[in-house]
Amino acid sequence: MILDLHAHSEASEDSRAPLETYLKWLQRKRDLLPIDGIVLTEHRQWDPKTDYRALEDRYGLLVLRGAEVETDYGHVLVYGVNDDITRRFDFTNVRLPAQEVITEVARLGGVAAPCHPGRPTIGLCQHYESKPPLEGVIAVEALNGGSRKGENERVQAIIDRYGYRAFGGSDAHLVSLIGICATEFEEEVRTVEDLVGALQRGRYRPIDFREQVRAAREGG
Amino acid sequence: MTIDRSIVGQEFDRTVFPPVTAEDIRTYASAYGETNPRWTTAADAELTAPPTFALCLRGNHFMPKQLPRNLGRSGFDAGKDIEMGVAVRPGDVLTGSSTVHDVYEKTGRSGTMTFIVFRTTVTNQRGEAVAVVDQKMMFR
Repeated sequence: MILDLHAHSEASEDSRAPLETYLKWLQRKRDLLPIDGIVLTEHRQWDPKTDYRALEDRYGLLVLRGAEVETDYGHVLVYGVNDDITRRFDFTNVRLPAQEVITEVARLGGVAAPCHPGRPTIGLCQHYESKPPLEGVIAVEALNGGSRKGENERVQAIIDRYGYRAFGGSDAHLVSLIGICATEFEEEVRTVEDLVGALQRGRYRPIDFREQVRAAREGG
Repeated sequence: MTIDRSIVGQEFDRTVFPPVTAEDIRTYASAYGETNPRWTTAADAELTAPPTFALCLRGNHFMPKQLPRNLGRSGFDAGKDIEMGVAVRPGDVLTGSSTVHDVYEKTGRSGTMTFIVFRTTVTNQRGEAVAVVDQKMMFR
């Protein structure tokens, strides 16, 4: 099962992509991008009221939700967001303490995983050059579709050193970028609870569709 | 940079603009190469303004007085969102009401940024909404 674990819709202030258009795109590009679902990880927010079941049914794709928060060690994806987590942390705070986020989200039933670790300023790698490593990190977004040349490559060193598991996400803010990087799970994921459990168990790997998307585009 | 969020929602400018003329509309349309006759060569009675016309309106105050005075030196235009309403026609008298709609921070590759969203609601002489313009400014 293949999920894009990192995507932004128009609910994020820097994206103009409607969720339904993402789903239409994935449905149309099924041969090129065999994605089974996406996880919306909007910036610094969580809206408990959104319900995407009608769109899931219409397009036959799974839509789960998480959040991307900002910490003193860079950006972190939070999966399994619940009331306890949103009461514990103000997602609009761009200076959240990363160690507390990692530890407390796990205690409260979710998974917090650093994203685009290779990016300057907002990625884990740079912070590890001057600060102690975080405890309790189980996985990092080793493959990020929005990273620049060299940024994903930096991540392997911390994976090797600290034994983190690796996953992938497109970090799409535009429709045509959805699904270009994703995560292949060895187990079925149908709910956020499934996703949290699967991330904890670790039977997954990042999967990169960028080259075949590029080739298809150039081939017309 | 800390900006007091109590300014959110406060109106800091209300400007009533002179009546829109056919020349205003044609000048705006031609400025970006518009060729659609309804916005350029139609008779005055048929002429309407392009949907983004509200962007050329300039109120009396671009920012509220409560903001730090040196903000403009470190910021730039971070884009606009426009929600379009009824069409503007020659003779319309437009009123712009500007408020601070949102203040938020985010971090990116280059560090922490503060965004302020100025919302200008433009109405015509009948009170109909012509446009709602959200102007984002980024400061660091």
